[in-house]
This record gives sequence, structure tokens and C-alpha cells, in this order.
Amino acid sequence: MSVDRRDFLKIGAVMAAGTVVSSGAPLLTAAMAEGENSGASARNQWGMVIDINKCSPDCTACYDACRKENNVPHFPEPELDIHWIRKITFKQKGVPGAEERAMPAMCYHCQHAPCEHVCPVAATFTRADGIVLVDKHRCIGCRYCMIACPYKARSFVSRHVEHDPAENPDAPIRMHGVVEKCDLCVHRIDKGEKPACVEACAKAGGGGMLFGDLNDPDSEVSKIVRTGKATRIRADLGTNPRVFYVGI
Amino acid sequence: MNIKFTKVEGNSASYWAYMALTGLVAALAPLTALYMFINGHHVTGMTNQVPWGMPIVMAVFLIGASAGSLVLSAMSSVFGKTEYKPFARIAALLAILLIMAALMAIILDWGRPDRILVPFFHFQPRSMFSLNAILYNSYMLVGFLYLIAQFKDNTRWMKILGLAAVFIAVGVHSGTGAIFGFVYVRELYGSPLLPPSFIAAALSSGTGLMIIALYLMFRATGRRLDNRLISSLGRLMGVFMMVVFYFLFIENVTRSYAPKNYEAASFLLFHGGKYTLMFWLGLGLSGLVIPTMIVFHPRYGRATGWVLVASALQVVGVFFERYIIVIPAQVMPLEFFPDKEITSVFGDGQFANYSVSLVEALYSLGLMGVVAFGFGLCVKLWPMLPTEAVHIPPEAELAEAREVHEFWG
Ligand code: SF4
Ligand code: SF4
Repeated sequence: MSVDRRDFLKIGAVMAAGTVVSSGAPLLTAAMAEGENSGASARNQWGMVIDINKCSPDCTACYDACRKENNVPHFPEPELDIHWIRKITFKQKGVPGAEERAMPAMCYHCQHAPCEHVCPVAATFTRADGIVLVDKHRCIGCRYCMIACPYKARSFVSRHVEHDPAENPDAPIRMHGVVEKCDLCVHRIDKGEKPACVEACAKAGGGGMLFGDLNDPDSEVSKIVRTGKATRIRADLGTNPRVFYVGI
Repeated sequence: MNIKFTKVEGNSASYWAYMALTGLVAALAPLTALYMFINGHHVTGMTNQVPWGMPIVMAVFLIGASAGSLVLSAMSSVFGKTEYKPFARIAALLAILLIMAALMAIILDWGRPDRILVPFFHFQPRSMFSLNAILYNSYMLVGFLYLIAQFKDNTRWMKILGLAAVFIAVGVHSGTGAIFGFVYVRELYGSPLLPPSFIAAALSSGTGLMIIALYLMFRATGRRLDNRLISSLGRLMGVFMMVVFYFLFIENVTRSYAPKNYEAASFLLFHGGKYTLMFWLGLGLSGLVIPTMIVFHPRYGRATGWVLVASALQVVGVFFERYIIVIPAQVMPLEFFPDKEITSVFGDGQFANYSVSLVEALYSLGLMGVVAFGFGLCVKLWPMLPTEAVHIPPEAELAEAREVHEFWG
């Protein structure tokens, strides 16, 4: 399978080279699927811990940073818009006057990812380090994954998107007719950086988003997860998200 | 019973008019698909909240009707129901055409239909879609071989392939039901009853379509059709409808029992607006109750006209059933936190809207055109139609049949 995927991604890389002016690695590259040579290794299990107590309902730092980093366009109809990360506000059901709280929601890079299980062509796959990716050169746009993802983390690109030369050249090229979602800013992770949302949250937001290696017992995220204070969304489904929340 | 099958001549003006009309309608399917592909799916009613719309409803409906037809076709050779032999060929042909249209419905609705070859090279054994691709293709093949065996009048192979057809039709429909039944996160999808209830609805809509197709074909070609055949098919459809009703009842009662499903159940059954109307009036009353009453009525059940009405109502009813299986589950918000009220700019916590766009309506019409055109073509190319279909030829009917004008020439 990996050979095919490499070929696909190579074709993609050639296509992208025609579209993007300059830039080092404009697309998901073969390395991302391959694991080892990209720095993606089963030794790491990337994950996040989000402390909701530090998230205010009107802060959009993560959301804005993600759109900018990944060149996510705005479509005029809200129900067609593409969302890699979004802010959700919530309050307790059945309790009048319950306080409204907020949290970012995104793809949780599930360990047992329903989107991956249902994808008929294995366009959705999990990288060695736990990042769930979509090979947009293989996706046939059947949208079964959107039906199956419990977190509404996926968006279908229902229009052609013109690329603006001012865009971030490191982010993947957008393609119409396929499904996409948060890739944890894999292009940054492979350079040893943190996802754009995490960085923006620390700088301009409440600083509640932490990113790190769940396999490393000394990482900040592991330490918090170990205390048992962090929970997963819809843990009952058994999808085992790699993103945890504190304070829900 | 010795039955002679013939081709239709297909030289009359009415035949060519039929072919021209259905050909034009059929062209709508690829044309609208091209339009969707060029512009992107924003020209349809589908959104990121409701990613599956009318094309998937059509696909499920067509697959159902197809599986039903194939089982009916196998009745004569496998279960010894010789009175069904006259339409064994047409039913098998319809089954093949319907599954082809269904596959077309799915593939042309992909965001990237240009990647048609990708599924041949990549496979995901956990995906019901992947498994179904195999099922649909082998089903088409078996249907085709079974039809050939009928042309050769090879009784042994007809039995073997007929039996294989029945098995695979059950598999195809279980698989289609499982596409939805396995989606455990949406209350209105995840149900182990979906696969069997799909089969029941497939059998009843397949029978209904068969009755209508038989009648029209025989009328148009001035052939003689015994109304006892129609009424026995009608009663068979009645039995299938009762099974559909039973499954619907069990499924909804079970769903309504657990507090966590109250919202989903009451949405579908009580406050779902158009979906609730489709459930009670479209499917329940006019799709099941009224046609069942007609086909089991001592007088109306024997009148061809009434059985035809019942069949039409029932086919439309099953179409509604497919619609309310596919759409409302997506319209309902996903439970992010089952015990919290949520909102977001992406429609979280809110009911979504979906209505069929003009493009999708034309696309669906085109798919039916494909079936009708293919049917017209095949009956001219191969001997599909029996010269007559009777139990015992009653004089009165013979006289009536002679009066029917030669529509197809
Ligand atoms: S959150 Fe959804 S899209 Fe992301 S891995 Fe889980 S199931 Fe897949
Ligand atoms: S839309 Fe693409 S990624 Fe999603 S299931 Fe279909 S082929 Fe896989």
C-alpha cells in the first residue's frame, strides 16, 4: 500500500509544483505517509490537551491562526464553509441560567478512527505517529467519512478555490471535490514546531492548548493525562481521540 | 407451461418516440453530473451538514428495486413458481439495468468521478462501501449469467444461477443496509434491523415495479396478460409490505424506548416536519396501509387497475422510506456532548436544512431515463417478452386482448 501511496503523492507533488510558485514542500509529501524518513515514527504519539478554563467564548485566536496557516478559504454559505477547527459554545442542558462556556473543536486524530474505517479507497490513513491524514489525490469524494465522523471534523470542498500567491506555501494545496480536515499542521510538526492553533493560543489567547507526545512520559500533555483530569469527547464511542480536554 | 419469448419489432413510430424521449431523459444524468463536477457540489442541496442527498437516496432506491426484481425473476426457476416464468427474463433484465443505474447514481455523485479507477486499486476491507462494490459487481455478473441461462433454456443452470441470484440479492441488500446500519454515531442510522428491513422493502418495491412494468409492456405490445397473474403478484407484494411494516414497527418502538434516543425518535415520528409527513403519510398510509388493503380486498385485489394503483403507491412509499432513511439522520445534529446544549458557526447543535435542488432532481430523473432507455433497447435486441402470460386462457380476455392496439409495433 505504501508504494501506491508514494506514487500518488509523487504525482501530487508534480501537480503542485506547477501551481505553487517556489516553496520547499507545498504538498503532503511521500514522507508523510512513510513515517520514518519524515520524522514520523511510532515512537511519538502526538496529542493535545486543551484546558477549557482558559478558553473564553469570544476568543478566536486558534480559529484565525488555523485559517491563515492552512489557507482555509471562506465560502459565502456558512453550511458549505470549510472548518479545520471551530469554536463551540456549550452549556448544561436542563439547568436554567447555566453558564455558557467555550472550547475549540477539531479533528481528534482518533486511535480507532471511524473515518478511516469507512473510507472505501483508504484515502484516509493514520501516520505512524498517530496523525490521521487524507490523501487528497486518492480521495474520490464519496463523503462516507463525513457521515461516520462523530465530531463533524471533516469538510467537503464544494467549490474550486483560486490560489492566492500570498498564501502560506507550506500548507497543502486545496483541491475541489475531496474531503479535508485538520492535519495537526503536520508540515510544522515535521519541522519540530507546534500546530499553528497551539502557538496562537499561547500568544494571543488564553494559553489553554498544549501539544506534545503522549508516548513521552515527561511531556506536559502526558503528565496532565496521567492525572486523570483530562477527558475525551464522546469517550463512550471508543474512538479514543488523541485530543483531551480539561475542565468540561 | 411452455412459453415462447419474442423480441419487439421496434419499427413503429411509437417505439422510436419512446426511445427518443427516454434517451433525452437519460442524457440528463451524465449532463447534470458534469455540471456538478465542473462547478462543484455547491450547485446541489448538499452541504457539509448534509453531505449525502438525493443521489444517494436514488441509489438506495434503485438497488432495492433491483434486488427485488432479481429475486422475483428467480421465483420460477428456483422455487418452481411456474406462473411467474413469463416475466422471469424481464425481471432479470430490469434487475441488471437498475443496479447499473444505481452504481451510476453513486459514482457520478462523487466529488471526483474522474477517479473512477481508484477503487480498483485501493481497497479497505473494513469499509462497507468497498465490500459493496464487490457485491454489486458480482451481483450484476450473476444476473447477467442467469439471463443467459434463461435464453439457452438451460434448466439446470437456471436453477443454480437463480439460487445464486437470490443469495447475492440478499447480500447486496444487507450490505446496502449496513452502510447506514454500521454508522453507530447517528441514532437514526445505527440499527441492526436496517439490513433485513432493506431486504423486505426491496422485495415489495421490486414486486410493485414488476407489476407496473409487466402491465405496461403487455399493453404496449398488445400481448395478453392474465389478470390472475397480476393479482397473485399483488398479494405477494402485500405479504412483503406486512414484513416491511413489522420491521418499521419494531425499529421505531425500540428506538423510542431509551431516553437517549427520545430526541431522534420524536424528531422522526412527531416534530420532523416534512420527514414526519413522509413517514406517516408517504410511507405509512399511502405506501403500506392503503396498498395492503387493496391487494387483500376480495374484489379490488382481483382488479388489475386497482392492483396497479396499489403497486404505484407502494413504490412511491418505498421511495419515501429510502428518503427518510438517508436524510433525517444527517439533518439531526450530532451529539457532541449528550448532556449539553451546543452552538457554533458550523451549525453544531442545530437541525440542518436539506432540500432537493433542481440539479439533483434532473439527475434523478436522468437515472430513471437510463433504465427506461436500456429497457427499450434490450427488448428490441433480445427475446425478452413472452407471447402471452396466462394461467388458463379465458375467452373473454382473449377477445379483450385482441382489441389492444399495437403500440410498439
Ligand atoms: S475526529 Fe473525525 S475526522 Fe478526525 S480522526 Fe476522528 S473520526 Fe476521523
Ligand atoms: S470522501 Fe474521500 S476520504 Fe472520505 S471516505 Fe470518501 S474517499 Fe475516503
